[in-house]
Amino acid sequence: MKASPSNPLPSNPLLEQFLAESHELLEGIGQKLMQLEDAPTDQSLVNELFRMVHTHKGNSGLFTFPEMTRVLHAGEDLLGEVRNGKAAFSRELADRLLDAMDFVGLLLNEIESTGRIDASRAADSARLAESLRALLAVISVSATIDPAGSTPVIAKSAEATPIELPPLSEIPEALRIEAFRRCGGGEKFYWIAYQPAPECFFQGDDPFHRARQTPGLLWGSILPSEPLPPLAELDTYKCSLKFHLLTAGFHEELVEHFRYVPDQVTIVAVDPLWLAISECEPENTFRIENDLVSASPVSAPERSLEFTEETAALTQILTVQEQILALEDRPAWLCGRLKAVAAVLKNLANSLGYAEAEGQIEASLAAAVASARGLPLLEWLNAHQSQFTSRLVAQSAENAGQASAEEVATSAVATPAADDGIKFGRRAEDNQSGPRSLKVDQAKIDRLMNLIGELVVEKNALPYLAQRAEAQYGVRELSREIKGQYSVINRIADEMQDAIMQVRMMAVSIVFQRFPRLVRDTSRKLGKEVRLVLEGEQTEADKNIIESLADPLIHIVRNSLDHGLETPEVRRACGKPETGTLTIRAAQQADRVVIEIIDDGKGIDPAVIKQKAYVKGLIDEATLERIGDQEAINLIFAAGLSTAEVISDLSGRGVGMDVVRSAVQKINGTVAIESELGKGTSIRISLPLSMAVTQVMVIESDGQLFGVPMDNVVETIRVPRSAIHAIKQSLTAVLRGRIVPLKSLNTLLGIPSLPLPNSDDELAVLLVQAGSEVLGLMVDSFKETIGLIQKPLGGFLNGLSAYSGSALMGDGSVLMILNIRKMV
Amino acid sequence: MPIAFKKNRAVFQDEVSVEEAEGLLEWLQKRSAAKVDLSACSHLHTANLQVLMAAKIEISSWPRNIELRAWLEPALKS
Repeated sequence: MKASPSNPLPSNPLLEQFLAESHELLEGIGQKLMQLEDAPTDQSLVNELFRMVHTHKGNSGLFTFPEMTRVLHAGEDLLGEVRNGKAAFSRELADRLLDAMDFVGLLLNEIESTGRIDASRAADSARLAESLRALLAVISVSATIDPAGSTPVIAKSAEATPIELPPLSEIPEALRIEAFRRCGGGEKFYWIAYQPAPECFFQGDDPFHRARQTPGLLWGSILPSEPLPPLAELDTYKCSLKFHLLTAGFHEELVEHFRYVPDQVTIVAVDPLWLAISECEPENTFRIENDLVSASPVSAPERSLEFTEETAALTQILTVQEQILALEDRPAWLCGRLKAVAAVLKNLANSLGYAEAEGQIEASLAAAVASARGLPLLEWLNAHQSQFTSRLVAQSAENAGQASAEEVATSAVATPAADDGIKFGRRAEDNQSGPRSLKVDQAKIDRLMNLIGELVVEKNALPYLAQRAEAQYGVRELSREIKGQYSVINRIADEMQDAIMQVRMMAVSIVFQRFPRLVRDTSRKLGKEVRLVLEGEQTEADKNIIESLADPLIHIVRNSLDHGLETPEVRRACGKPETGTLTIRAAQQADRVVIEIIDDGKGIDPAVIKQKAYVKGLIDEATLERIGDQEAINLIFAAGLSTAEVISDLSGRGVGMDVVRSAVQKINGTVAIESELGKGTSIRISLPLSMAVTQVMVIESDGQLFGVPMDNVVETIRVPRSAIHAIKQSLTAVLRGRIVPLKSLNTLLGIPSLPLPNSDDELAVLLVQAGSEVLGLMVDSFKETIGLIQKPLGGFLNGLSAYSGSALMGDGSVLMILNIRKMV
Repeated sequence: MPIAFKKNRAVFQDEVSVEEAEGLLEWLQKRSAAKVDLSACSHLHTANLQVLMAAKIEISSWPRNIELRAWLEPALKS
C-alpha cells in the first residue's frame, strides 16, 4: 500500500493548467501583498488575498506536492487570522509571506523543469511553514480557544472506527498540565488514535515505528486492540496493538506522516479544556462526546465548505450556542439564557427556511427549562446542526444561481476527497463572464507572422508581373487589371499584417509589474525610502521587444536604487524629501516606444566618471582633458566602468550599463542618459514598436542592391565630386556647414570598383547615423524605400557582421540589409 | 543476530525486525520463566512488541534509549 509515485508526468494537462494558474496566482498574491502594505486595513484586499492563497493551496493539494501545500497552508492560516481581525497586517508579515511565495515559485519552477519537487525541499518547506506559524503565535491576539476555527477533526476515516472519547486521563497528570499550559501559549495539540490494520505487517508496515516517528510527539501509549490471546494462540503476523498519541505537531504534518494509513488514524484537535479535567465527569463526557459527534464523518460535507464565509459564520454561531448550553453553572438567569439561545436558533432556522425546526426548538426549550439544564437543547442542536449547514448551502446555491451551481457541484465532488484535506478552489467569477481572451501558443502566432510575411513578399511580385505583361507581351489592359488587383491585395495584406502585429502587442505592464516588488525589496535591503511611480503601463509594443526590455530595465532600476537614490539621512541633509522618487514612464512616440527611468537621487558626477574611466584605461589623458560633461556621463555605457565605491550584491560590478546598451541596441533601440549632479538622473530608452517589419532604403552599389534600415538614414544628398576633399587618407565634404567624413560603400565591403557619379558628375551620398557620429556613404544610386520582413542570417552567413539580415524582394531576389553600426 | 537467545534470557540488540517475531514467540512458548534484556535495543518491530506483551514477560533491563523506554515501560510492566 505504498503511495503512488509522486512525480506526475509533465505532459499531464491538469498539471500544466495548475502550473499556469499558479504563476498567475503567485503574481496576484504578490501584488495584493504590496497593495496591502499601503492600505493595511483594507478588508476586501485581505479577503481577496486570502482567497487566492486558499485557492492555490487547494490546487496544490490535487498533486503530491506536500512541500508546497504545507507552506501555502501556513500562509493561509496566517492570512485567516488577519482576515478575522486577530492579527494586524505588518511589513514583517508581508516579508514572510513574500518569502513563502518566492519559495512556492521556486518549487513551481522545479516542477516545471523536472516534473517533481526535490526531496531536499521538504526541510525548507517545513521551516518556512513553521516560521509562518511562529509568526502566527506571536501576533495572534487570542490564540487560545478559537471556537470558530476549531472544527476538531482534521483527518478522519470514512469507515470510522467507533468514536471513542479521547481517554486523556491516561496521560500522566504532569504532562497533561504541561500541555494545558502550552495551549495557553497558543500551541495546538492533537489526540491521535492509531489502529493499525491487522494485516499491516504483510505490507511491510511497522506501526510502532510510525507511532514513534510522529512529529511533535509528547506522549504515547501502546495498547492491545483486543485482549491478547494466550501465548500459545498468538498470531505473530496479525497486528493486535493500537496506539494512543498526544502530539504538538501541526495537523498538516500529522496528516502527512500518516498519509499511507489515513484510514487507520483518527486525529482530533485537543480542546484545552479536555486537558484541564482530570477525570471525565459525566457532564464533560457529554460535551466531549458531542464535539466528537459533530466532528464525525457525518459532517464531512460541511467541512469541505468550511471556508466559505457564511458557513464559517454559521458554524461560529452554532458553536457559541453550544458552548453556552454546555456551561455548567446554574445562575438565577439560566432560564433567560436558555430562551436567548432558543431564540437565536429559531431565528437562524427561519432565515434558512428551516420551518420544522421551530416546534422542535420550542419543545427542547421547554424540556431544558423544566430540567434547568441546557442539555435537551444541546442534544437537539447537535442532532440537527448539519441541517443548518446543508440549508445554507442550498440557499446560497439558489441565490447565486449559475455561478454557485458550479460551486455546489464542486463541493459535491470534493466531499469524498475532503478526508485528505484536498479542497478545490472555487472561484465563482471563473464562470460568469466567459473567456474574453484566448491563450494561444506563441508558436502559432509566429507561424501566422511568417505566413503574412510570405504573403507580403509574394504580393510584391504582382507589380513585376504587371510590368512584364505590358513590356513583354504588350497587353496593357491586363497590366492595368493586375495593378488594380494588386492594390486590393496590398490593402488586405497590410491590414492583416497590422492585425497580427496587434496580437503580438503586449502592454509594458508585463515588465513593469515586477518593479514594485523589486524596488520594495531592494530599497529595504539598502535602507532607503523609495516611492515608485509607474506611468503609461498600458503602452504596447511587440512581445519580443517587451521581453527583451525586462533585463535592461531591471539593471537600470537597480542602479538607480543603489547608486542614484540616497539614504534618508543624506537626503535630509541635502534638503530633499526623505523618500526618493523613482519614476518609470512608458509612452508611444510615433513608431517607437520610449521608456524613461527617472530618479531624483544624487545624479552622476562627470568628474568622477572621467577620473574612473581614466584610471581604468578607458580613455587617455588627452580625452580626459577634452571631453565635456555629457560625453563623460555617456562613458558609463562603456564596458568595465563601475562607479560604486563598494561592490554590493545589487550592482556595481561594472557589468551594468554596457550590458544595458548592447541589449537595447540588439532590438534596434537607443539609450540615452541625462544627469544633473544633486538633482537626479534620467535614462531614456527608445525602442521600435515592432521588430517585424523594417523600413529599409534600397541603394545600389556596383550593380548590387543593398538595404539600409531607415533608422540609420539621416538624409540622401548628391555631392558634386569637386566638393569632396581629401584630408590625408580620408575623404570629407562640407555639408550644411559641417564636415562630414565620407566613405565608399564599395571600399567598406571590399568591392574594388569606385562609386559611379551621375551625368552631372555628382556622387550619391547617403548620410547615416553610426552610433553618435554621422557619416556619408558614397553609393551609386538611391532606390525606393520598402517595408520588409527581415530574416536573420543563418548558418555560416551568421558570422558576416556587415549584414544584419536579409529579405526577399518582390521579384524573388535577395536583398542584403547592411548593419551600419558594425560596418563602419 | 538482533536477538541473542541465552539460556533463559533473550537479549535484544539494535533494531529487531519483523522476521524475529516468529522465533521469539517459539522461544517464549517453550519457557515459563524467561527474561528479556532490552538494554541495547533501539527499536523493535510491532510484531515483537505484541509477543512480549502477550507473554507478560519480565524485563530484566529496560532500553537505554530513554524514549523507547518511556513507550515500553507502561506497556510491558505488568
